[in-house]
Amino acid sequence: MEFVMNIILSSVRMATPLIFLALAELYSQRAGLVHIGLEGLASIGSLVGFLVSLITGSPMLGVLAGAAVGILVNMIFAYATVTLCAEQIVYGMAINIFAPALAAFIYRVYFGAGSELVQVGLMNTLSGSLGITSDNFLVRLLLDQTPMVYLAYGLVIFTVIYFNRTKSGLNYKAVGEYPKAAATLGINVIGVKYLACVICGALAGIGGAYLTTCYANTYVDGNVAGRGFIALAAVIFGRWSGAGVLLACLFFGFCDALQIRLQVSSFGVPYQFFQMIPYVATVVVLASIGMKKAGPKSSGKPYLKEER
Amino acid sequence: MKKLLALLLALAMCLSLAACGGTDTDTSGGDTSGEDAGGDASGEATYRVAMICDSSISDGGWGMSCYNAMVDAAEAYGWETEVSDSIAQSAYYDTIVSYCDLGYDLIYAPGNQYTDAVLQAAEEYPDVAFALLNGGEDTPAQAVNGNVTSLLPNAQQVGWIAGALAGLMTQTGTIAFIGGMELDTTLGKYQGYQEAAAYVGEQEGKTVTTLDIVYSGDFSATDKGIEFAKAMIDQGSDVFFGDASAVDSGARQAIDEANAANGSVTIYDIAQPSDLLGQNECIIGSQVTDNASLVGLCMQAVEDGSFGGEVIYGTLQNGALATGALSDLVPEDIQTKYLDYLNQMVDGTFMQ
Repeated sequence: MEFVMNIILSSVRMATPLIFLALAELYSQRAGLVHIGLEGLASIGSLVGFLVSLITGSPMLGVLAGAAVGILVNMIFAYATVTLCAEQIVYGMAINIFAPALAAFIYRVYFGAGSELVQVGLMNTLSGSLGITSDNFLVRLLLDQTPMVYLAYGLVIFTVIYFNRTKSGLNYKAVGEYPKAAATLGINVIGVKYLACVICGALAGIGGAYLTTCYANTYVDGNVAGRGFIALAAVIFGRWSGAGVLLACLFFGFCDALQIRLQVSSFGVPYQFFQMIPYVATVVVLASIGMKKAGPKSSGKPYLKEER
Repeated sequence: MKKLLALLLALAMCLSLAACGGTDTDTSGGDTSGEDAGGDASGEATYRVAMICDSSISDGGWGMSCYNAMVDAAEAYGWETEVSDSIAQSAYYDTIVSYCDLGYDLIYAPGNQYTDAVLQAAEEYPDVAFALLNGGEDTPAQAVNGNVTSLLPNAQQVGWIAGALAGLMTQTGTIAFIGGMELDTTLGKYQGYQEAAAYVGEQEGKTVTTLDIVYSGDFSATDKGIEFAKAMIDQGSDVFFGDASAVDSGARQAIDEANAANGSVTIYDIAQPSDLLGQNECIIGSQVTDNASLVGLCMQAVEDGSFGGEVIYGTLQNGALATGALSDLVPEDIQTKYLDYLNQMVDGTFMQ
């Protein structure tokens, strides 16, 4: 039983950055922009969050800085794909190459050729702030989390309500479905697409900053470790809905947590067997949900305002 | 017009990438300003060494120690240094070749995983020397031009140094080891750690079990280190050792957090390959490999024109392997016993 509880706690920790990144992708795709550059945005968010947290001593400011730099870098994507109508996949990949290299460059400029391990203080958990110490599973699950975890789950709830219960959310989705029809209704399609890029950049930057302000107390190049691509899969797996994305992220987090716990617990079984669990599970689940496209109809297509 | 702007934007991003390569230049050994490859203002040849590394040189572990070893050796011999860190596996060969093209005299590759890339480049650049830390015993013989040297710290003895301390310090009788990738040297360290801890534990009247080796599969995944350490602590492990670069740093973070939650330091970590005492509260000692002297021997051989085709072993006996300073958390009587075991390792009577 303790094994299961520990896996659940571990899953929540590992799923949180994925939730931010997957929501970033969801907001982008709902406005018709397929963004495969989340890995890059998270990388620069991770570095800037770490640096600001180190300089100011405030992890929360680090997160805000991560969001700001995410928006800034994503404006390159926005300008190229929305204003210039360039290919979204190409620019997403360009961000993936450019932003981690920029992060590595900034790190070297700031710290020079020194090789000391730099560590920062992490954001306090709610139970830590309240002075609550308990081994109770529910207390650990519900209270032993940083504010960013609550923010991630709060954003999921907000997203579900926004896209399904508000006029503004339906207008937003309309841009990703039929932008020309949306434009005839007076919706500012270009404006919504830019707004999507701002939200996407902010959330991806926060996802990266979470890694260095709430999870690990140091920055290492490559610490995003493919989460940007897993988030992309989580949006497809979650059928482009807030709740689905949450379940997908928890599933991916659970699989990774499971393989780690099984590697530690299972004597004699080759470790490769456990390491393949997340990948096998992904293939099985994606195959089982079928090929039916549930995503926005205009996703990935440039919006040419004057085109007939 | 829009297409032109898109092209210009793409070009700007590509150009900025060229400026953002993960390399650092460091000059050592006197004033070398204003010189081109292979020479200085006085016309005297200046030797240059380049290191490649798939982990960060700021990882607080393997990458950091290997980089510092190169810099220390370069200072002693008056060489210039350069490093490319955090490079992907697919870039090993290209990075090495780039340095060869730039006229570097010695390529320093600290890890068994670079063997294939080094051998391929060594075949194409017969005038460049290649030092492979943790290279195989048979690797120099595979180099057709005889320009590869393996620097081979004795992995079993590395494991012994950590394992003996772990066997003495464990209270629960369960200890752990975290590996990065399944390399021969990592397995050798694990086996040495396991057997030394079991032997020392037996001498002290306790049974010491080492959990099965786990692999993060990535030297940069600090988060995996955190999760592995938490899982192993849940399994009762109270002494950790590892061979996984930044992953070890993550594990130490988790151990420090567990100790903070317990209110006292009861879970320990043994660092490697340099003395990291004081970096984290949980570190009680370090296994130290004098990589600087091994790299220095290569530099000397390059200068003498005698480089290549050999295996330079690092052992307790020749002083390349040692233990670092011990923390106050290690009681004096245990420190004495530990030093006795180390003496046994040096004189060859350990586990006999």
